[in-house]
Amino acid sequence: MIRENPHACGSLQHDVSRRQALGALAGAAAGVGAGSLLSPLVAEQLKSQQKQVLLIWLDGGMSQLESWDPKPGTEFGGPFRSIPTTLPGVHVSELMPNTARQMQHLAVVRSMSTKDENHSSGVPRILRGDPKNRGVTYPYMGSAMAHLKGEADSELPNYIWVKPGSGGFIWQHAGFLGAKYGALALGDGKPPVYINRPPEIDDARDTARNDIRKQLNRRFRTGRREAEVEAYDYSFQMAEKLIRRKDLFSDFAPKQLERYGSHPLGRHILQSKRLIEAGVLFVQCHSYHWDTHGDNFNMHLDLVPQIDKPFAALVEDWHESGLLDNVLVLLMSEFGRTPKINQRLGRDHWPEAWSLCLAGCGMKRGLVLGETTPNGAWVDGTEYDIGHIFHTVFKAMDIDPLTIEYHNNDQPLPIAHDDCAVIKELLA
Amino acid sequence: MIKTVRMQLDVTKAWTERKFQWERQVTACHFSPCGNYLVAGGVDFALQRWDMESDERVSLEGHPSWVGDLAFHPDRQRLYSVDYHGGLFCWDYREAAPRLLWKKEDAHQGWARRVAVSPDGKLVATGGNDQVVCLWSDRGKKVAELAGHEGYIFSLLFHPGGKGLFSGDQRGVVREWKLPAGKEVRQLDLTVLHTRLENFLAHVGGVRSLAVDETGKMLACGGMTNAKSNAFCPGDPLVVLVDLATGEEKMRLTPSEKADGPVNGLQFLPGGILAGIGEGASGASLAFWKTDQEKPIHSIKMNSGYAVDLHPDGLRLAVSRFETNGRSGNGRHSTPETYTSNDGVVEIYHLHEKPAE
Repeated sequence: MIRENPHACGSLQHDVSRRQALGALAGAAAGVGAGSLLSPLVAEQLKSQQKQVLLIWLDGGMSQLESWDPKPGTEFGGPFRSIPTTLPGVHVSELMPNTARQMQHLAVVRSMSTKDENHSSGVPRILRGDPKNRGVTYPYMGSAMAHLKGEADSELPNYIWVKPGSGGFIWQHAGFLGAKYGALALGDGKPPVYINRPPEIDDARDTARNDIRKQLNRRFRTGRREAEVEAYDYSFQMAEKLIRRKDLFSDFAPKQLERYGSHPLGRHILQSKRLIEAGVLFVQCHSYHWDTHGDNFNMHLDLVPQIDKPFAALVEDWHESGLLDNVLVLLMSEFGRTPKINQRLGRDHWPEAWSLCLAGCGMKRGLVLGETTPNGAWVDGTEYDIGHIFHTVFKAMDIDPLTIEYHNNDQPLPIAHDDCAVIKELLA
Repeated sequence: MIKTVRMQLDVTKAWTERKFQWERQVTACHFSPCGNYLVAGGVDFALQRWDMESDERVSLEGHPSWVGDLAFHPDRQRLYSVDYHGGLFCWDYREAAPRLLWKKEDAHQGWARRVAVSPDGKLVATGGNDQVVCLWSDRGKKVAELAGHEGYIFSLLFHPGGKGLFSGDQRGVVREWKLPAGKEVRQLDLTVLHTRLENFLAHVGGVRSLAVDETGKMLACGGMTNAKSNAFCPGDPLVVLVDLATGEEKMRLTPSEKADGPVNGLQFLPGGILAGIGEGASGASLAFWKTDQEKPIHSIKMNSGYAVDLHPDGLRLAVSRFETNGRSGNGRHSTPETYTSNDGVVEIYHLHEKPAE
């Protein structure tokens, strides 16, 4: 588990603005309903601005056999059917009918094989790209992007984490990069608690308040670890960037909820969509409780549709708006689930052979890469580790992982595992 | 062969004579009405029939997905089974090579989870994920669709008097239907067996098993309560006894041995003792309760279990349970050559004192 910063500011009181896009957003939110929230003009402008990433994380591990790599009628295949997709000859689980209709936009890797079978070590290991041990804590993908691609004076935080539960400023994601590359976590996808500045506090009083805060911060800094103090500073700065952007958190239109689902994951993907469309560089959207050691099949029966519907709607919308050209969507977990069925009719953790999905931003469209053995238990052919995915994502984001390095106190560090490489087959 | 006639039922003296083992988990098992066969099915595409005399096993193949349940017709000829592609199959199970008589491949939309046959053999009931109970003639003609459930149907039971049918669902509701018309008589509140906390992504629990005592006056409903998550799905195993005269809860029964999964199988024994088996990540138990005591009068610790059924002689109990086949849990722990499914076992317990050799 990632421990949230106990010092993070719980009273984020500030706001942001990317006026043009958000003006359009507000208007679109009021009127459009289904489909993209962007006007064609703004979509075009965003396209020309920068590449972005939306990482959708199904925490605990979605079963590859009940999703991307079905093996019906086999020893470990489970009870579900497979269904055809828009790609000839390619099938997915019957639990993903909406995604099946968008397969022409997706690149699915069925030959992931990673090292860690535990959540506590596996989640950060995967999200940091599992680099070689060089005595430093590597950043999460979002923090890496914020460092490598983010704009210091960006009007929105570079890295936002939409998650169930509580929010805060999660500086630990940044690793050795330093707290300012941490994640601003929006608990339950909601804005910071005190997003509204009381009307009796005008700009002058607000400036005066901030001066006092900065003075206190300087005193507070004495004798404390730099990372802690940085975390305070940046959580406040992140909050400042959001305080004038209530429009980012307005209610979703009923038609949007119908299309994406009114359950938490549907709402959180909608919220993530808004943030990306507003210009946030990297959004990580989290869903918990996919760790189905018990009653795996009844649970997947209810869980998989909760990602199928909003994921397919998102891909379709961003394809239609053209945003998929510049936004990389990555859907994954920390591992897959065991082919073997346990005593509670569940599936346990299985890093040996699992699947993930990428879409957009230079990824080849309509591709299934790699395969597993007929019983689904092992990769048949080339195995890909998370390092390969990091190389490929960096490359898609115009960051050359072979030439660009981190510098930690003058120590050059590769940004992705040096024994891995870009998966060229994934790139268009 | 050990003679079981004239033995006095005494569950505290229960002992196991033999076990039938199969290479997949079996989640449903029943003795044939003649007592000569035991048939089981589950995480597999075939039913397995064992001859109780010779132990010979024969597969009944044809289901395109896992077998959800099976039930014998009282004519001692036919066997019905349902599968997770929504199919209802009817077999002649007696022959050396059992024969498929007919099938309805789309009896239900989605999984067909349960099947039951009325005591007079005229009706077959099925229930599934489409939340509908279907009534069929014994020859497979649909005669009624009973709608109203708001969750998957997890359990079905004809009242032994033949006038009623009970169906239990995922949300903890048991509906009683009057036969043959199929009119809903009442709903019984078993929501204690269902959990959906605010942070859950799915409904957990449900009415997993049903049994009626020999007087026809008491209904036992099995499952679990207080589920902690929708991932591991751990909870507290629970059986709720309902007085059918009033519809009121009469008693709650819990196992003595530690377990964290639902009570999947229930069976009343002669004399009013209730046998039950449940799941557990670290094991469970076969429990025998008197219906006026919360804790069992006797328990036999065992692996996670799925179903129980009483032999027509009233003295033998079949219990289907999990059997590990190599190390389970996270990660590989074996090579591709040795990585195989866990097994299913149906253990045959004698519910009386073991005779002297």
